[in-house]
Order: sequence, then structure tokens, then C-alpha cells
Amino acid sequence: MNTFVPVTIVRCVSVAVLLVLPMTLDGGETNLDQQVDFNRDVRPLLSNKCFFCHGLDAKQREGGLRLDDRDSAFGKGESGETTIVAGHSDASELMRRLLATDPDEQMPPSDSDKSLSPQQIDMLRRWIDQGAHWQKHWAYQEPVNPTLPTVRNPTWCKNWVDRFILAKLEAKGPAPSSPADRVTLIRRLYFDLIGLPPTPEQVTDFVSDSCSQAYERVVDQLLASPHFGERMAMYWLDLVRYADTVGYHGDQDQSISPYRDYVIDAFNDNMPLDQFTHEQLAGDLIATREADQIDASRATDLKIASGYNRILQTSHEGGVQKKEYLAIYAADRIRNLSGVWMGSSLGCCQCHEHKFDPFTARDFYTMAAFFADIDEDRTFSGPSTIPTKREPEMLVFSPSDQKELVDLQTKIEVLRQQDSESQMLAGLEQQKSRIEQRARRTMITVAVEPRTIRILPRGNWLDETGEIVEPAIPEFFGKLETGPRRADRLDLARWLTDTKTGTGLLTARVFANRFWYQLFGTGIAKQLDDFGIQGSLPSHAQLLDALAIHLVKSNWNTKQMMKLLVMSQTYQQSSLTSAERYAADPENRLFARQSRYRLPAELIRDNALSISGLLVEDVGGTSARPYQPAGYYRHLNFPERTYTADTDDRQWRRGVYVHWQRQFLHPMLQAFDAPSREECTADRSRSNTPLAALVLLNDPTFLEAARVLAERMIQEGGDTIESQINFAFQRAVSRVADAEELSLLKNLLLQSKDLYRVDPSAAEALIQIGQQPAKENIEPIELAAWSIVARAILNMHETITRN
Amino acid sequence: MTDQQLVEQRAARRTFLSQAGLGLGATAIGALSAQQCGADSEISHYRGLPGLPHFAARAKRVIFLCMAGGPSHLETFDYKPELDRLDGEPMPKSFTKGQPIAQLQGQELRCLGPVNRFKRYGQSGQLISDYLPWTARVADDLCIIRSMVTDQINHDPAHTFMNTGTTLSGRPSMGSWVNYGLGSATENLPGFVVMTSVGGRNPQPIASRQWSAGFLPSRFQGVEFHASGDPVHYVSSPSGVSERGQRQLIDTVAGLNMHRNQILQDPEVDARLAAYEMAFRMQSSVPELVDISDESQEILDMYGGKPGDGSFASNCLLARRLVERGVRFIHLYHRGWDHHGELDKYMNICCELTDKPTWALLTDLKQRGLLEDTLVIWGGEFGRTPMFQGKGDAGRDHHIKGFSMWMAGGGIKPGITYGETDDLGYNAVTDVVQIRDLHATMLHLLGINHAQLAVPFQGLDNRLTGVLPSQVITPILA
Repeated sequence: MNTFVPVTIVRCVSVAVLLVLPMTLDGGETNLDQQVDFNRDVRPLLSNKCFFCHGLDAKQREGGLRLDDRDSAFGKGESGETTIVAGHSDASELMRRLLATDPDEQMPPSDSDKSLSPQQIDMLRRWIDQGAHWQKHWAYQEPVNPTLPTVRNPTWCKNWVDRFILAKLEAKGPAPSSPADRVTLIRRLYFDLIGLPPTPEQVTDFVSDSCSQAYERVVDQLLASPHFGERMAMYWLDLVRYADTVGYHGDQDQSISPYRDYVIDAFNDNMPLDQFTHEQLAGDLIATREADQIDASRATDLKIASGYNRILQTSHEGGVQKKEYLAIYAADRIRNLSGVWMGSSLGCCQCHEHKFDPFTARDFYTMAAFFADIDEDRTFSGPSTIPTKREPEMLVFSPSDQKELVDLQTKIEVLRQQDSESQMLAGLEQQKSRIEQRARRTMITVAVEPRTIRILPRGNWLDETGEIVEPAIPEFFGKLETGPRRADRLDLARWLTDTKTGTGLLTARVFANRFWYQLFGTGIAKQLDDFGIQGSLPSHAQLLDALAIHLVKSNWNTKQMMKLLVMSQTYQQSSLTSAERYAADPENRLFARQSRYRLPAELIRDNALSISGLLVEDVGGTSARPYQPAGYYRHLNFPERTYTADTDDRQWRRGVYVHWQRQFLHPMLQAFDAPSREECTADRSRSNTPLAALVLLNDPTFLEAARVLAERMIQEGGDTIESQINFAFQRAVSRVADAEELSLLKNLLLQSKDLYRVDPSAAEALIQIGQQPAKENIEPIELAAWSIVARAILNMHETITRN
Repeated sequence: MTDQQLVEQRAARRTFLSQAGLGLGATAIGALSAQQCGADSEISHYRGLPGLPHFAARAKRVIFLCMAGGPSHLETFDYKPELDRLDGEPMPKSFTKGQPIAQLQGQELRCLGPVNRFKRYGQSGQLISDYLPWTARVADDLCIIRSMVTDQINHDPAHTFMNTGTTLSGRPSMGSWVNYGLGSATENLPGFVVMTSVGGRNPQPIASRQWSAGFLPSRFQGVEFHASGDPVHYVSSPSGVSERGQRQLIDTVAGLNMHRNQILQDPEVDARLAAYEMAFRMQSSVPELVDISDESQEILDMYGGKPGDGSFASNCLLARRLVERGVRFIHLYHRGWDHHGELDKYMNICCELTDKPTWALLTDLKQRGLLEDTLVIWGGEFGRTPMFQGKGDAGRDHHIKGFSMWMAGGGIKPGITYGETDDLGYNAVTDVVQIRDLHATMLHLLGINHAQLAVPFQGLDNRLTGVLPSQVITPILA
């Protein structure tokens, strides 16, 4: 019998590892004799089970006890007993109440839906007996420069980032993965940094370049590409909820595309992120303040940037109550600001004190008061046209138009001074108005006399009994020093980025975490927009701190940060993994491998267009309208809407430029998890649904791309079926097809030819899809059959996966 | 089980299946279609959270008939003789002082008596207006709730509130919650289907956020079926591609993916194969669903729609067909109930379009034995003011402090009226029902304890019923 025992044990252990490992990473159960860590183990438990009645919210508080506050937790409650006596669980009222069986004494109360497991109670006991060490929540502590961890295998590390990852792996995890092969590497870099696949030539150049600088050279090229800004903007636009329509009710188009260009340019110009912050929150104030130091084009940029304050959802529905909607807008802005920059959910405080984090309802309204100067009275009047108007707006001219306009204006003024009624003047006026007509409008922020902001009890806008408040940062963070001057949005923006007088380092940590997420598929801290107490701890807190400090020291240099991360060995690991390793860390919290995931929606589009050669690579400009099912907007009204797809080159523009209709997002974007951008989206889901499969199979955009790719396979792919298939394969997945793949695709080609020979009209129908005319010098049956082969290649898992 | 744990569990299962698939595929991968592989159906067919239903369900599915725009309770189910008496008189200030008001802001408020008559119907003697002669025939099946209240006075947020329990964007709608909790009973169709129709006054827009899955995985989002064009976006094979051609393509893609996955070992590949298989099945199951040529003339006459006309009548018939095919949540919107003016004219139009089909749906479900486990809910996003509004002829403004809905079928006590508004139909005063109570009751009938269906998101355990106290309306349960 003894011989069987070890087998059983081994089994149990492996199961236990599977189940327990991810939990310990998230700060759940820990080994019995382990040192209890307050931030990892204790606070999440107290927060989940106790803060609701023993937290910041005085209205909900019971027994005068706060367990979110050290002084209160170590003091005496209303009962006179000391809640926590460090080192003495037996003398701590907390333990007595947790262990009580009398329903009147028991905590959490038996009629609540909360309870603690015996293990959790024991963990609290050990924490108290170990000295009840109390820590500030990690996200509210300024990052401190950590000492570089020592590792056993320093040669694995390409830069200091790797030291943190490897140290943890050496201590408790699996060995790191081997480096990715060079093809995978270059594809990864291209998708991550510019969002487009490499051409076969770019792949060959890199793979055959044995120079040790080859990788870095590609990185530098990509960081310098104008498509870098597009790739970075995609994510930023999710965060700030950029869209082309107003969102509420009639969901009319709004004028804002110059703001998107501003974001793209800012990333391409590597604008320091603190400046990026200031300009979006308070560009208008900077322009006013620095009016005599800046030129017209800079002033224009600043105003365009201030469009950030205007891209929230708005409504001019008949019967909207202005006061109600001003309250809604204020809350929307605070949710966005706190999610994007502060990594916190301050929005909860619209109605009540935060249940878990140190924010009060008062904080919410003092923060809202920063935005009380935004002129938005005119947004309530509409009109119900396409586009609607959301004054204040301004005209934005292209650089050449801008120059021409200035010249024209000068000439017109000269002629006018001569009191001339000449034909020449009329001609010039006409020229000017033509330029103005082709200019784009964009919503901007204009500061007016600030509205009165009151604390709204329970968020109720009808209740006018609340105290009037002035702009202020959350009290927990201290006070802004502005003397007698009312603090404004620029003060707020500077507070967010200043490392001495503000929370700059905390903001940098939020940003650094998101850069990591962009390159590894998951954040070091998992919740990308909420570092609050209810979230999980960062997997590598010291690394995150070091990255935040690095970001600030580099003068908020995005490209440098991206380069640092992609140059790391951690980034360059393979994403291949065994089932065991995968099961041990399904979320990749240890970064013992690269992540792999389906491309985001916009890139699915860009990729297909690029592989086929249809992609139009122009940067910036108005929004594009790809093919879309007829009648999709039929539920829209005020006015009723008919969608007209672009019939020019804009049809093949990148996904980042696709018209973003909040209420009816393009079905392709929606099927691949692009958000409606009603709220900040920091972490897109990556689903795998039948609807997405239908898009990739049947959406005309992909059918046209397949047919155009087929034309190229036939005409540029050489003389054999194999070479023709490989022409497309190399474009789609940067490698040639193996024997099995060739055989499957050849078989499909033959099957398809058989079908189309029987029904030639079907071949004609297929190749007519899309506005790009089919090549007439290719026989329709041939082209249709090859189009089916191209469809198969565009639908492959590998084609739409970033490895 | 949290969403995260669910995801992990699924990931682990996929890994297992991936390995199983590999063992199988290594020998004869080219010949295998994913359909034959056997692994896919288990993945695609999500059967709900473990432990659900929490208790025996009285209803297996829901049909929500949303009368978008907000029908007047005072002209449908809530007769107010006192309002009739005060017709044309000033609205007593005691009712309206400090209350939110929509389009009537700043205007003189006068009473508008009911513009039509009410009678008692059925053995239960329920009071129903003359606008609804067909609904009146099923009076004994209905539980009329006259004491609904909501928080939101404008259409768009009121729909969001009705569907998600909050006005914040990005939250799951009830159909998503139900599918997330209970899973799907069909492998060929989405578990949450939405259909819309139009007719009446000033059709208000309806946003796709109303059927969004919010922070839940997007597989739980509602799928809109369209009357014209493709019933589901891109569900038809492209022109020039036959069903056989599409099958060959999908088999080839599956073969390529499985072959490559011997190297990549990506657990996601199994899910992708399954998604393509369900996509292919939908390409035939959806057209089959909307093809009503197998319905008898008698049935077609009952509903009264014409195939493909996009009417509420056709949608009701499709709803029954969806019920038969195992779809969990069917949400119909009829846009046209925003009667700020010409109330009489537009009530006639809206009721002409919706009254008989509603009767037909209830009757048809009943005669097929489906009503007993199908919960049918009828109502708008809010009601309408007792006060006169005059855009054109007499009409009524938006009203949120008291309005009517009805429920019927699975687990609902038939032939009763629950709750009351005051004498003027302004405030719900007896047995007030909040939207979250409606949600709690609906979930209860489906066998779900609303307090336990929670997903952590942004630091909070989110529920359809939110954080404020909500209760199952036990007096209306059968």
C-alpha cells in the first residue's frame, strides 16, 4: 500500500499548484507560517469585508470605528475596547468579534452577506501577533527608487528592467522563456510600435542582418515612423473616450477630428507627457497666458488640445434639464480624469464618500469645480443636423491653407484700405471663403466665469442645500497653493504632473503601467485605471516604481520608455509555452513569457488592408467611412441617418480614422471589441465570437482585400501555385507555407475552381465586391478561386494574432 | 465564482482540450473539420455559472416588450376619474413642486383627463383602456403593475437605467446578465436577441448600448436581428460564395489553424475553431429562423405581420420562434410612444401596431405550453404626465414618479393588479416598484438570487440590481 502513497501526493500537489498559484499572486491565501503582509493580505480583506461599515463614509459608519484608518483601528471603539492591540491578538477586540458566535456580537454581522473563512480569521490573528504592521496603500505612496535586485544569471538581462523580472522568476517562478525567433520578433515590434505588419523585404532584411545592432535599428526606425503616433493614439483615444458623435440621444456627428490629429502628432513629436497633460486639460488657459510668447500655429494647437474637455457625451434632447446635464457632465469629467491620470475611481464619490479609497464626496465636487469655467451653455441648443454644433468650436486649416489664408487676408486688407471695390477684391474674398469651407471645425475649451458648484447630496441635482465649493484637489493629498487666486485647470494639470508639489510620480506610475500593458498585454498592476484599494497589488511593485521614476527623469519621454521596454530580454521572450507553464500562470503575471493575443480591432483592419496592398497610409485628417451594412443607423433620429461609405481612397484608411459612432459603432470594430468610447476604456477585452468570425469571413472590406491580394498572388507571385500561395503567406504571416499548409490551400483552390466552373456567374459576383475594380486581364474563375484562397489566409488565427 | 475565475477555468479547460485536440489531430489533421473534432461544442456552448440557477426556476427565458418612448399609463392601465374631473384645471402645485420636469419646464401646468374610456375585462375584471381591445382579451393572464417608478426623465438615460439598473455607460444590460448567469440553451443562435420596429410619434433613437454586455465578456452582448438585408450583420455568405464554398473555406481555415497549433499550442485556437463553427451554423440557423413559410395561415393571421416587413407583429412571431429554439432573452423595442402631442391619434397608431401582436404572442405561447416557463414583460422606459402638453393636439410629457407595466407567464400570478398611483396618477403611492425590484423579481423567476449574481468591476461588486436595497415582489408570484 505504501507504494501508492507518493503517487497520490504528487497528484495532489500538482493540482494544488494549479489552483493556488494564481491566487497567491493576487494576494489571497498564503502559507500558514508566512509573514503576513498588510498591503497584500490584510487590507484587501478588511476592504472587502469591513470598510462598508467601518470605512471613510461617516454616514454608513458603525460603532465609531474605522478600519481604513490606522489611528482608529488601533484606538478604542465606542464600546471602549481597543480594536487592535499590536502583538496581542488575544487582547484585540477585532479578534473577539470575528470569533464571536453570539449573533449580537458577531462580525461581520450574520445578516450581512459577508463572512470570513477560518483561514482568513487566522491570517488576521497572525498579522496582529506578528506586530500588526500597518502600511499606506501602495498606490498612494510615492515610488521610491529600488535597489536593483541581484540575480543568479545576469547574462540573461539586457537591461535593468530584466533584473526585476528575473529575480522574481529565480525566487519562485518558472525559468524565463527562450528568446523569440527573429520573424516573431520583428512582427511583434511592428504590431506593437506602428500597428502594421512588416513587409516580406523588411522581414528578410532583419532576419539576415547579423549585426548586433540590427534589432535596435528596427526599433529606432519604428519609433521614428509617423505610424508610431497612430498606434499610440489608438489607445489614448480609448482612454479619453474620443468619438465622432455626441453619444446621447440623437448621437449626431460632432466636430473633433483635429484633436485626433493632435494626439497622433504629439506622440510622433514625442511630446513630454506632462506637457501633453497640461495642453489637453488647459491648453486654452496656456494660450491665453502665453499669448505674447507664442505664434498663431502654437496657439491653434493648444486650443485643439483643449478639445479634450469637450469630447464627453453630450445631449440636446428636447426636455433635457440643463442643471441635470451639467451635473452629468461634471461627473463624466471626474470619472475620466481620475481614471486616466490618477488611476482611481473618484467617480464613485458623486453620491457618497468612497467606500474603500480615501476620497470624499466633497473631493468629487471640489475637483468638479476645476471644470466649472468651461463654456458649455451652447451645447444644449443643438441643432439636430449632421454634424451638429457644439459651440465653442473653431476652424482648423491645413498648413498650406493657413499660409494662403494669411496671405489672402493681408491682400484683402490692403485693397480695402484703398477703398477698392475691384473685382480683384471679390475674387480674393471668394478664394478665402473657399478655404474656410474646406477647413475642419473642432470643439475647443473656452473659459468663462465659473459656474457655482455645490456639493449635491447623494448626487441629486435637484437638491440645492449643499455647500458651495471652490476648486481643490482631494483633501487626502493636501492643498494647492495658489494664494488668493482661484485654482484653475492649469493648476490641476500641473499638480497631476509635478513631482515636488503634486502627484507627478503617482501619475507617472499609472502611465508607466499602461506602457507596459501595451507591450506585454497585461499591466504590472492589473487594473489599468484603478489602483485603488479594491484592486490587486502590482506583480512587480519595485519595477513599476523604477519605471515611474525613469519616466519622470527622462522628462516624460514616451519613445525612450517604449524603447527601454522593447529592448529588454523580457519583451523579447518567446510567447510559446507548455500547457503546464500556461496553467501555472494563465494571466502571465510573472512575465516568464511574452503574451499572445488577437490584434485589436483597428489592427485587424489595417493588417488585411496592408497585406493586400490597399492600405492608404496618409496620416491625419477627417474620419473615414468604410463599407457598412445598409440600414445600420435606422434607429438614429434627429435627424434620420443614412450612412454613405467613402468612395475615394479614404475607403482604405487605417482603423484609427474610422468614423466612431458611439451608439452604433461600426459592426466590424464592435465585433472585435473596440469600445463605444462612452467611458474611459483602459483595458479592452479580447473576445472570440461567432460575430467576429462572420465579419472576417463576409465583411466586404475583407472580401475586397482578399480579391486584391489574389490579383497580386496571380500577377506577382511567380509561376507555380506554391510560389503564389507563398507570396500571400509571406505578406500575411511573414513566412512560407509548409507542405501541409500548401496542400490544404491547393486543395481549396481546386475545390473552388470546380465550384466556379459550374457557376461562372458566382465568380463574377465575388470579384465585383468592393470599389476597387477587378483586374480585367485575369480570368474571373481563376481570380474568384484565388480570392477564396486569400480569404483562407486572411482568416488564419496566426494572421490576426500578435505573438 | 468571479468573472476572473470563470475566465481561468475556461482557460484551463481550453488548455486541456487543446492537448486533446493535438493528440487527435496529429494523425489525420488535414481530413478533420473542426465540427468533427468534438471539442468545439463544449467550448461554444456555455452553460452558465456553476451553482446557477440558485433555486428552481419558474421561467426559463424572458421576452421583454419595450414600448420605447414611454406609453401613457393614464391611457392604458391606470384609470383616474379624478383626473378626468379636473380636466383643464391647474395641476395642484402640491404634486409638482420641486419635481423634475422635462419639456414642460417653466410652463403652466394643467390637468389632462384620460382621453379615452376604460372597461373591466375577464373574470379578473382588470381595468384596461379601449385602446387595447386585444390585450383586454388576455386580461386574465396579466399581472398589471401600476406603481412603477424610475430615476430618469429623458429617453436615452431612462432606457439605460431600465436595461442596466444604472445610468453609467459600460454596464451590462439585463439580457447579458441573464445569459452570463444561466448560459445558453442553443448552440445555433445567440442567447440574447434584439429586434426593433417603428411606428407612431417622433420615434426616439435607441442606442446599441441598450443591449451591450458592458464589462462582461462580449459574447453575452445582445445581437440585433434586422428585418431587411442580412438578419444578422454579415450572416449571409458573400455573393458568389455558396454554402458549400463557405464550408470548404471554413474547413480549410480550421485545418490550417489546427496544423499550425501543433507548434503554437495556443489555447485560443480551440475557441477560434468553435467560433467559426457557430458562425457557420448561424449562417443557416438564422435564415431558417426568419423564414416563416412553415407557419400556418391561422398563425400568420393572428399576428398580422408580413414576412420581412420589420413590424412589431413580425417581431412577435419571430420572438416565439426564438423561444422555441432556446434563446434566453428576447428584447423587442417598438419606437413611437413619445406622445407629447396628438395623444389620441398616436395612441391609435401605436396600439394598432402592437396590441393585436401582443395578444397573439401571449395566446400562441399559451397554446404551445410555452407561456408557463416564459416570462413576458411589457412597458416603456417611463410613463407620461397627468399634465397637459400641447404639441399639436393634447399630449403628455415624460413622467417618472408613477407608471404602469405588466408581466405575464412563467411564475407570475395571473389576473391581478398590483400597486397604485395617487388620484391624479402622479406619484406611485401603494406598493411602489423600483426598476431594481423589477430586475430582482425577473431574476428570481429565472432562479437567480439577484444579490449573488455579482461581478467585481472598478472596485465594486456590480449587480444588475445595484447597491441600493431591492426586493423581489413576492405578492405577484404565482
